[in-house]
Amino acid sequence: MTKRDQGDLQDQKVTGYQSVLGVTQTQTVRLPGIRTQSGHEFAHVDVAYQMLGKLSPARDNAILVCHALSGNAHLAGLHPETGRPGWWDYHVGPGKAIDTDKFFVICSNVLGGCNGTTGPASPNPATGKPYGMSFPAVTIRDMVAVQARLLEHLGIKKLFAVTGGSMGGMQALVWAVERPDQVRVCVPIATCTSHTAMQIAFNEIGRCAILTDPNWNTGNYTDTCRPEHGLAVARMVGHVTYLSEFSMTNKFGRNRQSATEEMFSVESYLHHQGQSFVKRFDPNSYLYITKALDDFDLFAGQPAAEVLSKVQARFLVVSFESDWLYPPAQSRELVRQLKRTSVPVTYINLETEYGHDSFLINNPPFSNVVRHYLDNEYHRE
Amino acid sequence: MHPGIYDTVLDWIPQGARVLDLGTGDGAFLQRLIQAKKVSGEGVEQDAGLVARCVERGLVVHQGDIANGLDQYGQHAFEYVLLLGTFQELVSPSDIVREAFRVGRQVIIAYSNFAYIGVRLQMLLQGRTPVTQSLPLPWYRTHNLHFLSILDFRDFCRDIGVNEIKCATFNARGPVRYLPNLRAEESVCLLQSP
Repeated sequence: MTKRDQGDLQDQKVTGYQSVLGVTQTQTVRLPGIRTQSGHEFAHVDVAYQMLGKLSPARDNAILVCHALSGNAHLAGLHPETGRPGWWDYHVGPGKAIDTDKFFVICSNVLGGCNGTTGPASPNPATGKPYGMSFPAVTIRDMVAVQARLLEHLGIKKLFAVTGGSMGGMQALVWAVERPDQVRVCVPIATCTSHTAMQIAFNEIGRCAILTDPNWNTGNYTDTCRPEHGLAVARMVGHVTYLSEFSMTNKFGRNRQSATEEMFSVESYLHHQGQSFVKRFDPNSYLYITKALDDFDLFAGQPAAEVLSKVQARFLVVSFESDWLYPPAQSRELVRQLKRTSVPVTYINLETEYGHDSFLINNPPFSNVVRHYLDNEYHRE
Repeated sequence: MHPGIYDTVLDWIPQGARVLDLGTGDGAFLQRLIQAKKVSGEGVEQDAGLVARCVERGLVVHQGDIANGLDQYGQHAFEYVLLLGTFQELVSPSDIVREAFRVGRQVIIAYSNFAYIGVRLQMLLQGRTPVTQSLPLPWYRTHNLHFLSILDFRDFCRDIGVNEIKCATFNARGPVRYLPNLRAEESVCLLQSP
């Protein structure tokens, strides 16, 4: 792996990056609304989504990729305006882990997001102004309900596979549990069935940074006066939790920007991450989505065996040894619960040393496992 | 392991059985078993690279240590639990065999016979820890923790209260029928809990 490859594609400076897919489009559709778990009725929801590959005549090769906290619908290929690669371009494309030559791949921005799907920054139809904090609480299950609307719109009754890392993995789990007859294969990556106190704690630091930014103004900020400082700090904290001591030592060590500079490289990297993130992310969305993450509980007080007994999908569960935010123990616990309810599950814990980000970076061992698994499962009778 | 061991196990397992293969390696034998006997099988393997090979073969495999990897399976989730070639490496063989009998109805174990004549002679004449075809690595590189004979294994079964239903023994020339504790290099047996 070259030095330049040791990062995800979202906020890095990627110069000269080539995508086999070329420029890819994202589109937005207005769909019938949903009733959220919190009881709010959306008359309609806008959903931004990307489609790659071709749907087979039997309509049996659709894969839904669910994005994580800071992701969006731009899954792979280059953005038509910014030229930036999609967040999973390393793993989605012809011959890649999610092979667009074989599969029809869909990715949509989540409910509560800020990249085209209805969220706190969208206009509230009742007032014409952005929802802000009047946006209803959203859950991982609500996000899945909106994805299901999109699939209805696209005429896809059954997914071959649903996958995602981190928050995307939670959505994949909800798909397998709540819509068992619509999922053949589920691939949750570096995820869990509910957050621990530590995971909630890091999110709370991020939220506090936003809430205490004077520009936050109880969520009613304007485009020219956003709580960017708070959001940048939230991203900085978040980003540290996605890395590992190894990846940080390897990438930055105690280097400084230049001999005359006082700032360590890691400091300027985090500043860059923060600054780049505030340009593309809405602070209120960050509050809503992190809250959805923290509130998520796949079992919601029910016995795991009962909840999982409905599952029909086969599973590949992937974790990374160096991931201390979503540690392998959480994946192993999920695997144990699945196995105890006789769900066929393959589990691999990869040695990748790049922390939680291991699924976002260029990672051939990870890519190969996912590619072979999907290929074998697709041809399983 | 002697190829005869694998042929024997293949012969013992009935069509369509549910099989758990502990220490499945690259999954070659499990795949053979699935193809030949249409078993529904899965493997446990601790090496990520070997697990990836199993995934390439389309096998259901769990990455984990045998000692920690068994409690996730329900009681009698399998008809057969296989321990082929990893038995001597287990820290606590009796605990693992008991646990294997919880998740499976029958357990098949293969191991090397430390009382094989070649081993005895090396020890006696050379005065060194033996290196043979079935014990190929020197003492400082072997993963084996236990050095047992066929008679030892029978004592072990008696001690933990399981019955040996079938047994097959081999040396480099093939199956061994007479004086296996002296003449066989490897042994495989099918165990049942009374």
